[in-house]
Amino acid sequence: MVIQSISPEEAVRYNRQLILPEIAPEGQIKLKQARVLIAGAGGLGSVSAYYLAAAGVGSIRIADSDCVDAGNLNRQILHGTGDIGKAKTLSALEKLRNLNPYCNVEPIQEFITDGNILDMAEDCAVILDGTDNLKVRKILNRASILKGIPLVYGGVEGFSGMVTTFIPGRTSCLECLFSWDNGQKEENGIIGPVPGMIGSIQSMEAIKLILGIGKLLTNKLLVFNGMGISFRKIEIEKNPDCPVCGSNADICSFMKPANKTTK
Amino acid sequence: MNDEMEIIVNGHKETVPAGSTLSYLIHHFKEHDRDLIVEHNGRFVYSRRYNEISVREGDIIEFINPNFGG
Repeated sequence: MVIQSISPEEAVRYNRQLILPEIAPEGQIKLKQARVLIAGAGGLGSVSAYYLAAAGVGSIRIADSDCVDAGNLNRQILHGTGDIGKAKTLSALEKLRNLNPYCNVEPIQEFITDGNILDMAEDCAVILDGTDNLKVRKILNRASILKGIPLVYGGVEGFSGMVTTFIPGRTSCLECLFSWDNGQKEENGIIGPVPGMIGSIQSMEAIKLILGIGKLLTNKLLVFNGMGISFRKIEIEKNPDCPVCGSNADICSFMKPANKTTK
Repeated sequence: MNDEMEIIVNGHKETVPAGSTLSYLIHHFKEHDRDLIVEHNGRFVYSRRYNEISVREGDIIEFINPNFGG
């Protein structure tokens, strides 16, 4: 269904952004038509999902395989005390639906794998990375390249975080930067405002990508340090030897064919 | 020509042998983490170039452990 207008109720809800000339009703309709994949309903995904739902992104597909744990609550603001033990994507669905019933939330309570990522990313305008390990980030990266969908990487640890946007075919990819293997998910310290900062920037990037406005955080890795409140941008360029997007790469060899059956 | 030079490493002035490569500096400053990225004068450096890039007086180096938590 092609969405060509917004309702009077939505016009009231989105008034403060509709009066921005860069958005206006045309932009609001673009947001409403868009679907975003948020990979992970943790610290980063909590923040980006809230802001994208609030901004009126039409569909948010949010994937996570975990259930809410009390130890998540210092930073994962989608979830509350009453959600402990509940599937994270169900908790996300309830919160986002309450925040904005005009946003269609598609919860996927699954672990992200080579086998399901292409289906998950189908029809998505942007992939937002809210995962907690490099292994799954690489799966997102390869899907981004195969399907030509921008990927907004975010990562946090301790008092610092990083964020950048990868556009397939135009910029470096995640594996240009992080080519090594690190499948281990380690339990590191983290303070809530850090994913707050990085998740906010990721949602800003997603909104700009959908609207086609502004200057994207591409070819620059933004490094945030909360201890000194510093933001630095590191210039990055495509790695010609990248195993995934370089000139000799064979991207298809990295992905197992999508297989919906489970054993 | 001086045998030593001053550079900035992770925000601190350091004196190192003139002509040091990034590989030498990684070893010298014991940056042994596998998860390491190197910023040289504001630019990201690919690891295959660590051996070939020599730093100069006044260069700014940051050794960064990337963040993979979410």
